[in-house]
Amino acid sequence: MTRFVWSEEFELGIDIIDHQHQRIVEYINQIYDISAADLDAATGENTAEIKQVLASLVDYTVSHFAFEEALMEEADYPELSEHQLVHRQFTGLIENLKARCEQGEEVSQKLAAVLQQWLIQHIMTEDKGYAELVKQQLLGIEPEQHRHWVAEAVSRYFQ
Amino acid sequence: MSLQWSSDLEIGIPVIDSQHQRIVDYINGVERAHQHHSQAELLEVLDELIDYTLSHFAFEESLIEEAGYPFCKAHKKVHALFTRRIQAYQQSAKAGEDVTEELAHTLKTWLVNHIKHDDRDYTGVVKANMNEATKRVKTKSGSWMARLFG
Ligand SMILES: [Fe+2]
Ligand SMILES: [Fe+2]
Repeated sequence: MTRFVWSEEFELGIDIIDHQHQRIVEYINQIYDISAADLDAATGENTAEIKQVLASLVDYTVSHFAFEEALMEEADYPELSEHQLVHRQFTGLIENLKARCEQGEEVSQKLAAVLQQWLIQHIMTEDKGYAELVKQQLLGIEPEQHRHWVAEAVSRYFQ
Repeated sequence: MSLQWSSDLEIGIPVIDSQHQRIVDYINGVERAHQHHSQAELLEVLDELIDYTLSHFAFEESLIEEAGYPFCKAHKKVHALFTRRIQAYQQSAKAGEDVTEELAHTLKTWLVNHIKHDDRDYTGVVKANMNEATKRVKTKSGSWMARLFG
């Protein structure tokens, strides 16, 4: 596993959500860095630091999910409850890792890899699923296709 | 470690920036209470912090609503979630639990993230709306002045 490098393909085109996702990525990278540094030093004592990052990650993720769910609700997104379920599963996963970490279990880079995998997968599938509707309903941005159609129609009309 | 106010916490709307700055002061008060090992001091500053934060949220929410910020509901939900969290900490503190260190950490991280990511997002819309409002007032007072001295 390597550090999570953010790129355009992860963007939904809703700035605030893209920024929140990037913040989560930073937290995951922090976990990766701490565990990597620890492997180098072979001290086996990364738990205190990771515990704190995990606590911040839980807090931030919960807040981000609440934000996203509010957007989906307002846009009448039909798959809101499924999406909420996935969010709750992820929150459960991080909370579980945090608890294990508190019990003194050594946290490896595997943990960062799991979080990274989950986030990429979630953004690319479930989050992309609501993006168009939210942009349309809340930002008044028409879907790409429709915009093309309008532009074409307009240019035809004024030819 | 106390939270140092710096320009990267500014969003560029002076009235909001000064309110955020005051919240930072209260958070540092929580930290001081922790250093003094004083539960009484903690409960007092926590009361003030919650009071002030609630009125700040109400102010901010009316500002973004008025400006037509598209993510008002979501922003409000995040405020409500945070309010419930600090109130839960307050309950634990009142019950005599030692939550100060965890609380100070949560407060600092939350506020910095919220300012830098969530609040900064509404700045453009709110500023544009404020400029419009100022312009309207100016034209109004302009015509009033014109009538008076014209
Ligand atoms: Fe999501
Ligand atoms: Fe806010």
